[in-house]
Amino acid sequence: MNGQAAQGAWARWVGGTHVFYAVPLLALAIPLFANQYTQFVVNLMLVYVLVAVGFNLVLGNLGQLAFANTALFGIGAYTASMLMVHAGWPFWAVILPAGIVGAVAGFLASVTALRGIRNYYLAIVTLAFGELLRWIYIHGEAATGGTDGLAVPRADFFGIALDSETARFYVFLLIVTVIVKAVSNLLQSKIGRAIVAIRDNELATASLAIPTGRYIVLAFTLSGSIVGVAGSLFAVLIGHVAPESFGLIELILHFAMVLVGGLGSLFGSVLGAVALTALPEYFRRFPGLYEMFFGGLLIVFLLIQPRGLAALCAKWWPALRDRYFRDR
Amino acid sequence: MAALLELAGVSVRFAGLQALTDVNLAARGGEIKAVIGPNGAGKTTLFNAISGYVPIAAGAIALNGSAIHGLTPHEIAARGVRRTFQNGGLFAELTALENVLAGLHARIDASFAGILFGTRAARAAEREAVIRARGLLEVLGVSHLADRQVRAMSGGQQRTIEIVRAVAAEPPLLLLDEPAVGLAPPVCAQVIELIRRLAGEMGIAVLLIEHTIDLVMAAADVIAVFNGGTKIAEGPPAAIRTDPAVLEAYLGHG
Repeated sequence: MNGQAAQGAWARWVGGTHVFYAVPLLALAIPLFANQYTQFVVNLMLVYVLVAVGFNLVLGNLGQLAFANTALFGIGAYTASMLMVHAGWPFWAVILPAGIVGAVAGFLASVTALRGIRNYYLAIVTLAFGELLRWIYIHGEAATGGTDGLAVPRADFFGIALDSETARFYVFLLIVTVIVKAVSNLLQSKIGRAIVAIRDNELATASLAIPTGRYIVLAFTLSGSIVGVAGSLFAVLIGHVAPESFGLIELILHFAMVLVGGLGSLFGSVLGAVALTALPEYFRRFPGLYEMFFGGLLIVFLLIQPRGLAALCAKWWPALRDRYFRDR
Repeated sequence: MAALLELAGVSVRFAGLQALTDVNLAARGGEIKAVIGPNGAGKTTLFNAISGYVPIAAGAIALNGSAIHGLTPHEIAARGVRRTFQNGGLFAELTALENVLAGLHARIDASFAGILFGTRAARAAEREAVIRARGLLEVLGVSHLADRQVRAMSGGQQRTIEIVRAVAAEPPLLLLDEPAVGLAPPVCAQVIELIRRLAGEMGIAVLLIEHTIDLVMAAADVIAVFNGGTKIAEGPPAAIRTDPAVLEAYLGHG
């Protein structure tokens, strides 16, 4: 009993808030030994952490085949860029609008799902939505710059010029930490439980006085806002938004991050985003090898480790397992 | 004593098929009422109508005197109607404890903002619910299953956990759709014992769909017999056993 209690306390400490904040705290030291290029890759990882976290919420936790993720990403990036280019807004002021416009798009996707368009139909509708948006980016030249896209002006964050990778890193790290922590809290709460319950058995969930429709809308909307914010960070990081950044290849990358990380695992989203941002950069020096490796990796994970890196980690360090995430 | 649940002249139609016709039925606190009848008699449709999963074409369903027909399933559940499902309605990926916690969802008093920011109050509400859920599993004799994943449980264990989950929020009315189907006789007896305790100790009104006649005779206070979408008889087990209409329609074929 005593041993069990001690073990429980240890597990709580290791799996608790301390460890959560240890990661960004340790990450603060990265600029000390990273060159500009490495720092850029790390910043890109942070962007993709939000991308994967948002996507996983709907795909993994809620279990809906919605593939609007690149659309949401693009909406966030274009909203931020257009406000900066055409309206002259500073970067800090465009993050929230990017999140709000992303949330509206996510909400629209949830309405589609609530109206009974599910599974393959939802997949096709959301894919079509993404392609429609690309058409708009290409043909709305006056606002979007057409196929050339928009060059994002120099950004600043409450007076701090984000003109170096290091400066961007600290701002991105702060934003990503806050959002991931909020999502973590949400997923561990009764809301996270209800979302997983809807995935497992929607009819039975409603029979427990849980308003399923409201939580489906919530998951989609939240997902949209997170990926929208990711889009605004992406715009500032790359310094240029163009339609080709938000196509099907990009969607496959998002999908792979969630899958390799672990469907329904927040920790997995982070792992998947970090791993699949680093690998393409590494494979840049071996042209042609990347696509092969990427395809092979997906097959291996689907066959051997369908619950992703998160399940693998949970096996070795059970305290890292997400609540409501099961590794079989 | 006024009835907790009252159905008056309820009819349900599916694309030309008359699934229920002019059904009158009542349920009272502390009473176990069995709903029996051959396959296709409309028993599950009756449950689906009460819990809001199928719309009614005519009639009225009232809980504590106020109409509940036309409400969504979660709204009806929020008013105190809980049900189980014939094919099992548990969340297979979750543990028994997490399933019961889902049953307590509406009882967990935490705001959306409180949850996002992980406030002390939100975390306390969740902890309280965990204590409650564990207590309930303990009282109903299944605390050893608390942290086991549903998909790793036997059929009898799953039925039991589904019932525990259904009564977690202390609903006044419980609808059980074939809770003992496919269970070995001793396990079946345990489930029946559990149902008797819920009605006896917690004062819950229980409507019970069941096929095994011996079991129905042993558990139910009142039996309502359905055939072809209409109620053909209702009364205490002894009277039903000798009712000529019932013998003709149902027992006669067994």
